[in-house]
Amino acid sequence: MSGPPRRELEIGAYVVGLAYDADGTRLAVSTGAGRVAFLSPDPHDGEPLREVAVHDGASLSFARGIDPAGFVSGGDDGRLIAVAADGGTTELAQVRGKWFECVAAHPGKRLIAAGAGKVVHLVTPTGTRELGPHPSSVADIAFSPDGSRLAVAHYGGVTVHLTDKPGDKPRQLNWKGSHLAVRYSPNAKFLATATQENALHVWRLASGADMQMQGYATKVKSLAWTADANWLLSGGVELCVCWGFAGKGPEGQPPLELTPPGEPAVITRVAAHPAAPFVLLGFADGAVQIADIAKKRVTPLAEPTGSPVSALDWSPDGWRLAAGTEAGTLRLFDLKPRA
Amino acid sequence: MTTGAPSQIPVTVLTGYLGAGKTTLLNRILTEQHGKKYAVIINEFGAVGIDNDLVVDADEEIFEMNNGCICCTVRGDLIRIIGGLMKRAKDLDAIIIETTGLAAPAPVAQTFFSDDDVRARTKLDAIVTVVDAKFFLDRLKDSHEAEDQVAFADVILLNKTDLVTPEHLRSVEATIRQINKYAKVFHTQKSVIELDKILDRGAFDLERILEIEPEFLPRRGAGHGHDHHHDHGHDHGHHDHGHHDHAHGHDHAHGHDHAHGHDHDHDHHHDHGHDHAANPVHDTEIKSVSVTIDGPVNPDRFRMWISGVLREKGQDILRSKGVLAVDGEDRRLVFQGVHMIMDSNWGQPWRVADGRASKMVFIGRHLDADALTRGFKACAQAR
Repeated sequence: MSGPPRRELEIGAYVVGLAYDADGTRLAVSTGAGRVAFLSPDPHDGEPLREVAVHDGASLSFARGIDPAGFVSGGDDGRLIAVAADGGTTELAQVRGKWFECVAAHPGKRLIAAGAGKVVHLVTPTGTRELGPHPSSVADIAFSPDGSRLAVAHYGGVTVHLTDKPGDKPRQLNWKGSHLAVRYSPNAKFLATATQENALHVWRLASGADMQMQGYATKVKSLAWTADANWLLSGGVELCVCWGFAGKGPEGQPPLELTPPGEPAVITRVAAHPAAPFVLLGFADGAVQIADIAKKRVTPLAEPTGSPVSALDWSPDGWRLAAGTEAGTLRLFDLKPRA
Repeated sequence: MTTGAPSQIPVTVLTGYLGAGKTTLLNRILTEQHGKKYAVIINEFGAVGIDNDLVVDADEEIFEMNNGCICCTVRGDLIRIIGGLMKRAKDLDAIIIETTGLAAPAPVAQTFFSDDDVRARTKLDAIVTVVDAKFFLDRLKDSHEAEDQVAFADVILLNKTDLVTPEHLRSVEATIRQINKYAKVFHTQKSVIELDKILDRGAFDLERILEIEPEFLPRRGAGHGHDHHHDHGHDHGHHDHGHHDHAHGHDHAHGHDHAHGHDHDHDHHHDHGHDHAANPVHDTEIKSVSVTIDGPVNPDRFRMWISGVLREKGQDILRSKGVLAVDGEDRRLVFQGVHMIMDSNWGQPWRVADGRASKMVFIGRHLDADALTRGFKACAQAR
């Protein structure tokens, strides 16, 4: 396949998460082997991986941290670890017998949150607080765009905590079923979840009104809002299904359905471009494609590898991308035109 | 061993009522020098904690699937934990799940039928139930769970046999057999058993079901003490149009179906005709019913019929299994159901000696043996 410059490498373990640092000069990848690998996000650089052992076991969750060059990883060893650009590690929290299965950071408020069992550990500049227990184990967490709130997805709905008012009663958004992923719209008007029951659920935060989007082929594990908050996309089906949230919202409207070329597998991971209405799509067969919602077109970026895409993201400037698979293939791309 | 990615990791579920010897068995598995790397999912950290094994503490989180079906429950914690284990799957040989003594096995089994990721990456190897020979009959009187655990079992350890008389043991075994004719039963003391009898059995493996459960095949001419549904006549019963079934099964991505609909008026037809003169058999609510057709089934008619049966009676039918012959197909059609969830695959080719007979087995409460027999026989392929 011709296309933009790329680099492909095998890192020998399940790619759990990947994240760019704040200025996009480093890419960090966490794996099922419990290591974090650092490399240049530029596919033209052939530099070898630099790996740091972080967990005794697997990393289960990974995100950019609160420092410009830092990352944070949660593991099945019950440890939440901050990983600095030089590979130095700091333990932020530890729980016995539980796993840190989801992690999120809000650099502006200098907050890190991570779920272990039914409890979320909120690491703040003044100390760590435990939120919960929630009605079931925590499946995913997300900060609101301004960091004032933390949404916690679990069985039966979402609990929204105020991050700076620990004593306040959290808001409950109830919808029966198992909620696997949660994301705020960038304008903070909506909160979306992906569910075990092959559906999305979305709340209008001002009114509390909610809506259900169904018809997915399988459970949905990944959600993305475009930067303008006009579109919500997810995995869980072979089509690129885009729900429109501009204007009155999606109620009563069919979604925009873009058909990926070829014989697409189910989409497993989605990631929205930081500025434009592009969404990176990762498929169950390892293929990577880019949906251009404005042009209503899906363009292949990388062919199938045979292993599901398990992590992908855009660089902060939106020119570079990275995608990793369960089998441990990592692919880097650069879309920037070269002189 | 098959190569190729991604391989499915076998999962063994250990059940058993409180005090039956389940934890002893688990400790035995963990301490034996087997050279394998297991992940063990337990409910409480107890005495276990072996260097080579990964012990995971789980809270049993029973999730109702939000599809309106009240018996469609799964273990949400297992979905999460197995998802996590798959991230480090390269060093795992097997997963062992210990359930609490009071746990109903259905949500565990249904998890392996329902969740796409779990289905793709693991296979339910066997449900192993430890039964306390001394107290089992008492447990039956005061708990549904003890009976359910036997009904769901692929392998039963009839444990503490040294604490009962031979007569009592025979009575317990006959009672177990009345509930579940098709599980392998081993007599044990202090949960001592060779691990290859309980691990990596492939009991749920549709390819191997016949080898594991030889009882499953209709044995021509062999004495069938409890199987009163043999019928060697051909071509009968084609008039049973009582089930106006629409196959409501949603074809999910991986081809398992779900019998929707919630008509739960139970007909309290009990199974008649069991005659166990040899040993006193405790009257159990759960019984096994098997039906044989001496030839192929019409697959469309069978699908219609089984969807209807599971839709209407799926709450009471704990497990259903079938090995079916289909005209023009060399392989066996192997069917498995847990309550209303069903799954079918093409299995091994027929061997000449098998004679291409089709057989269904139901294990459940309030089974109407006559209706099941008539219904299945009406699925026979017309000649």
